[in-house]
Amino acid sequence: MASENIKVAYWPGCVSRGFTPELHGSMALVAERLGIELVELDRANCCGAGVIAEHNQELADTLNARTFALAQQTGLSMMNICSTCQGAQSECQQRLDADSAYRAHVNEALSGQGLSYEKGEEGGWTNKNFLWLLVEDYGLDRLAAQVKRPLSGLRVGPFYGCYIVRPKERLGYNHFPDRDIYLEKVIETLGGQIVEYDGARKCCGFPVITMNRETSLRQAGTHVGDAIDAGADCLVTPCPLCHLNLDMQQPEAAKVVNRDLGLAVLHLPQLVGLALGADPKELGMGKHIASTRWVEERLTSGVAA
Amino acid sequence: MPSHDVLVIGAGLAGQRAALAAAEEGVSVGIISKVHPVRSHSNAAQGGINAALNPGDSWESHAFDTIKGSDYLGDQDAVEVMTREAPEEILHLEHLGVTFHRNEEGKLGTRAFGGASAARTYYVADITGQAIMHVLYEQLMKYSEQIARYEEWFCSSLALDENGECCGVVTRNVADGSMELFQAKSVILCTGGNGQVWRPTTNALICTGDGIAMAYRAGAKLMDMEMIQYHPTTLAGKGFLITEGARGEGAHLLNANGERFMEKYAPNKMELASRDVVSRAEQTEINEGRGFPDGTVALDITVVPKKRVHEALREIVLVGRDFAGVDITREPIHIKPGNHYTMGGVKTDIDGRTDIPGLYSAGETACVSVHGGNRLGANSLLDTLIFGKRSGRDAAARAKRNDYTRPSRKVLEDEENLIADLMSREKGSGRRISEIKLELGQTMDGKVAVFRDEAGIQEALEIVKRLKEEAKTAYIDDHGSVFNQDLIAAIELGYMLDNAECTCVAALERKESRGAQYRTDYPERNDEEWLKHIDLERTDDGPELSYSEVTITQWEPQERTY
Amino acid sequence: MAEYTIKVRRFQPESGEGPYWEQFEVDLDPSLSVLDGLLQAKDKEDGSLAVRCSCRAAICGSCGMKVNGQSTLGCKTQIGEAQEQADKMVGATGVSAAVADSPIRGEGSDLGSAGNPIVIEPMGNMPVIKDLITDMESTHWTKIRRVTPWLLPHGEPPEREYVVDPESMIDITQSMACIQCGACVSSCLSMEADPDFIGPAALAKAYRFVGDPRDAETQERLHDLAEDPHGIYDCTHCFSCIDACPKGVAPMDQIMRLRRRAGEEGIEDPNSGHDHEMAFVKIIEKKGTLDESLLLQESFAPGVKGKLKPSKRAIKEMLGSIPTAIRGIKTGKMRSLPKLIPGVHHKLPGGAQDDVQAIYRHAETHNEEFNLYIKGEEGELAEDDVEKGIERSTEPAGQEASNGQ
Repeated sequence: MASENIKVAYWPGCVSRGFTPELHGSMALVAERLGIELVELDRANCCGAGVIAEHNQELADTLNARTFALAQQTGLSMMNICSTCQGAQSECQQRLDADSAYRAHVNEALSGQGLSYEKGEEGGWTNKNFLWLLVEDYGLDRLAAQVKRPLSGLRVGPFYGCYIVRPKERLGYNHFPDRDIYLEKVIETLGGQIVEYDGARKCCGFPVITMNRETSLRQAGTHVGDAIDAGADCLVTPCPLCHLNLDMQQPEAAKVVNRDLGLAVLHLPQLVGLALGADPKELGMGKHIASTRWVEERLTSGVAA
Repeated sequence: MPSHDVLVIGAGLAGQRAALAAAEEGVSVGIISKVHPVRSHSNAAQGGINAALNPGDSWESHAFDTIKGSDYLGDQDAVEVMTREAPEEILHLEHLGVTFHRNEEGKLGTRAFGGASAARTYYVADITGQAIMHVLYEQLMKYSEQIARYEEWFCSSLALDENGECCGVVTRNVADGSMELFQAKSVILCTGGNGQVWRPTTNALICTGDGIAMAYRAGAKLMDMEMIQYHPTTLAGKGFLITEGARGEGAHLLNANGERFMEKYAPNKMELASRDVVSRAEQTEINEGRGFPDGTVALDITVVPKKRVHEALREIVLVGRDFAGVDITREPIHIKPGNHYTMGGVKTDIDGRTDIPGLYSAGETACVSVHGGNRLGANSLLDTLIFGKRSGRDAAARAKRNDYTRPSRKVLEDEENLIADLMSREKGSGRRISEIKLELGQTMDGKVAVFRDEAGIQEALEIVKRLKEEAKTAYIDDHGSVFNQDLIAAIELGYMLDNAECTCVAALERKESRGAQYRTDYPERNDEEWLKHIDLERTDDGPELSYSEVTITQWEPQERTY
Repeated sequence: MAEYTIKVRRFQPESGEGPYWEQFEVDLDPSLSVLDGLLQAKDKEDGSLAVRCSCRAAICGSCGMKVNGQSTLGCKTQIGEAQEQADKMVGATGVSAAVADSPIRGEGSDLGSAGNPIVIEPMGNMPVIKDLITDMESTHWTKIRRVTPWLLPHGEPPEREYVVDPESMIDITQSMACIQCGACVSSCLSMEADPDFIGPAALAKAYRFVGDPRDAETQERLHDLAEDPHGIYDCTHCFSCIDACPKGVAPMDQIMRLRRRAGEEGIEDPNSGHDHEMAFVKIIEKKGTLDESLLLQESFAPGVKGKLKPSKRAIKEMLGSIPTAIRGIKTGKMRSLPKLIPGVHHKLPGGAQDDVQAIYRHAETHNEEFNLYIKGEEGELAEDDVEKGIERSTEPAGQEASNGQ
């Protein structure tokens, strides 16, 4: 598996084409350099982010069944670049796979479009976040071989995003128990230094940004602050929604937690891209709210910690 | 000094029910529990609660099954009361909000259980005890004005007035170590059983026979202390319970040869014969070499439809998975008989009165006796509720008739001195509490279990006496005031040893086999000489024996086969 | 038998000193529990080690604690698995920065190393009384009482039982399975940021009544929980409580069901939670993918009326988001019109939007709630039972055992 070229049905999600365009761009760049062929599902719809399921569970399941069916039409497994998509879609997939009668009921709604979601065999059709794909299908050894600019001296704090680490039982942790330390493995493979801090697997607060702004930004601000205190040069995250609360809202979060922040937050493809030798500008790092200049300086100086 | 008309000690099902019943009568109520009420061991009662509620059923049928199950040692007037009042109690619980299982018509639905001639067990999945207890606790929260809760307070001694009537209790506030003397007109002991005297046991760590010992020390009579139930299906080693409900749903018992051996012992009821019969059958298979190397036999739940397992036996799925590493829907699980329930306890009448005025008891602590020599599954929950209710009412009525009498402060001082003594013992001056507990548990499980004989019980009694001496010099590590669990454990050890001594003495005395007591040296039931209760009363030289009659109303003792 | 090192966060209130770590070496079978390890340390070495415990079988709910940062029951966590978890991490998952001895690791070191101590701490979000014993009364139980946790039926009870839909009793069995252990409260990330949040345990308990047909105050309960700014719309949707719960109660799912019910009753909440939910739903119906700026606007000022006469809060929030938007424009994140102007976002291409709308029509008509806890995984059921030749009857087996003795 590790030596073949990987081709996936690619669901970029909503936000990577909306408020975090640098994610979409850097993913395209990195995929090319790694030799991963992306077949973009440009007719697919939003995963619902858990919010649609709150309103009507069947609706969320059907919307995601459509996306899965579109992917299955290409004959390829699916890849997403968002923890929230991963979590929301895995939840729907668990229900769809659990009961054939329910699945048939959902497929009724898709039949008019000539689509149908088929339950895969064990280990057959999958939907994986880029992070999981990188470790499980691409392989860390293969990744290491592609590194042109090791991230020596760069101290990176992982930020996973709730939807990709909980609840364990429906995110495949039985088969892949290390999924909640993949960011650490990737950081290490790319030559960076891992910074552990309290908030690595906690909530960025994005889901309540409109409902309780203070609670939301307190979470974001606290986790960014803890990472700074632990010595991080930047965070890395596989979730653009987390990115919104950690980066775009960082100045506001700083006000809520009453301290200066100013910590760069990188998307996972950006971190990978830097190690592959890409230019920060190419990776859209200039678009971030929290400046990434410090990261660029650390890399160009190549100073060991 | 805090006073309440009615003081309930223990906040499991019996205690909570007693408190609610007393409060309904308009008296002031206090309820004391050494753990938070919802931690009480009632929550482990999984399978269900019996009542002859179905039109085709009758309380007489339920009563007969219970009396036969008791091997005719149950007092039939008490059993009649329990089975007669059962239907009303179930409806009362349902009205309070218990989420009982329903049939397709939306009415209360039943499942089959051991020793029953009809399906009369009402249930909530396999968490019936938990469900009922949590609903009762909801009611306690609702009536918090009328019922004062003392959560995490530990009782160490009853207080009697100069007339020998119970008028209070000495307690310790576990959170800060302060000692308090409570005053009450009626005290109800609902502290559960004494399973921790045996190791392993299905019982929780808190089941140390506190109320039984306190009543005994105050001079109340204990009854049927030799009747200790070994549950047929417990996990080896850890002693976790696998509910009888599994057998009710159709699970089979198999020996190592794959044979459904109950055919030999109870050809009609098979796996649903009464618990003592099944336990003895299993132990016989094991003793005669047809068990597995780990001293067990197999419970095969794979024959139960998976849908039903998922609906009604979910708890066992988790127990199997988390504590035995077994998927019960795919493979049999290894089990053996394990200590489970105390049929004996503080002797009471049908209103919970002990022979000390003002002192009541209900639930597993008490011995009315409705279970006699063996308890049927799903009757324990019923026992706690019916007699908890009756004790609460009678205790309230007594409180209305009487004035407060003042407990002497001496009893508080005595307890404080005992504790000071415990705290003063040097490290290494004697054994550790945990060591003595371990030796006690292993001794009792080895010699006073499913099969007993004179030599074995006598040895156990000698060991218990030695351990009692050793307990006098055992030391504790924690000398603080806040949450001193070490100290509590030392006091509980004392309770356990008193319980053990009484059980040994009673088991030695009963020279026959009846219900849970099986003497290999007296293997037959002997109604002529032994159709009576064995009572015990404390003296300075140990328990003093006496006998009391078994009340027979309608059902003459017969041969008991399943 | 194997040897383990357990590292316990201790606190002796009478010592006058703060919390500290103490390590114990214990020796037990890997299949035994972390609680067994603690009790061994307590029995053999130090009886002052305080931990609440009783049943040892995950039923009484006494032994809530954090093992390697994960809120759970001590008796349910196998010590062998806890060791694997401890070895996996650098400083263990989610352990506070105060715990990790050296948060930054040097180059070239392996991830994790065998023999890390198993870290045991008291539950979070609660004051600590002593060692692993927390004050549940002031947090957990106070919040439980907040939701009026007893049945409120209407009028006198019937002569026999209330007749109810059997499905409803099974449905609330999930909430009823709660043993009040507090692990969910301990793990709640909303509560960490907002201690006034009613919390997962209390809200799961509230669902037990909202879902009970015998309770007559459903409306009042829903209003109460939705209109409390620290109520059902204060949940940050992080799944921590679902992961922590040892009984499968899935408190977050119960909170979402409460939101669903509140929405169905048309209850407006002061957090704009319902508006946010409906905004999201409607945007996807119209556009297929998310229009972030429209979402923001609709969450606060939904529909035409909302935009003409926005509430004070709506104005405040929308004005408050202007600085963020400006920064986005400056750095180039949000320079295009579709991003900036709510509603200009494109639809899905090539007729796909019609397909999405067809899905909406189907799903909004049926609105089926498939609950895995209740239904279970079907595949194995049917095949296995057929293999065994078992008939799938609805009567419990053993019903036939009704002949006389």
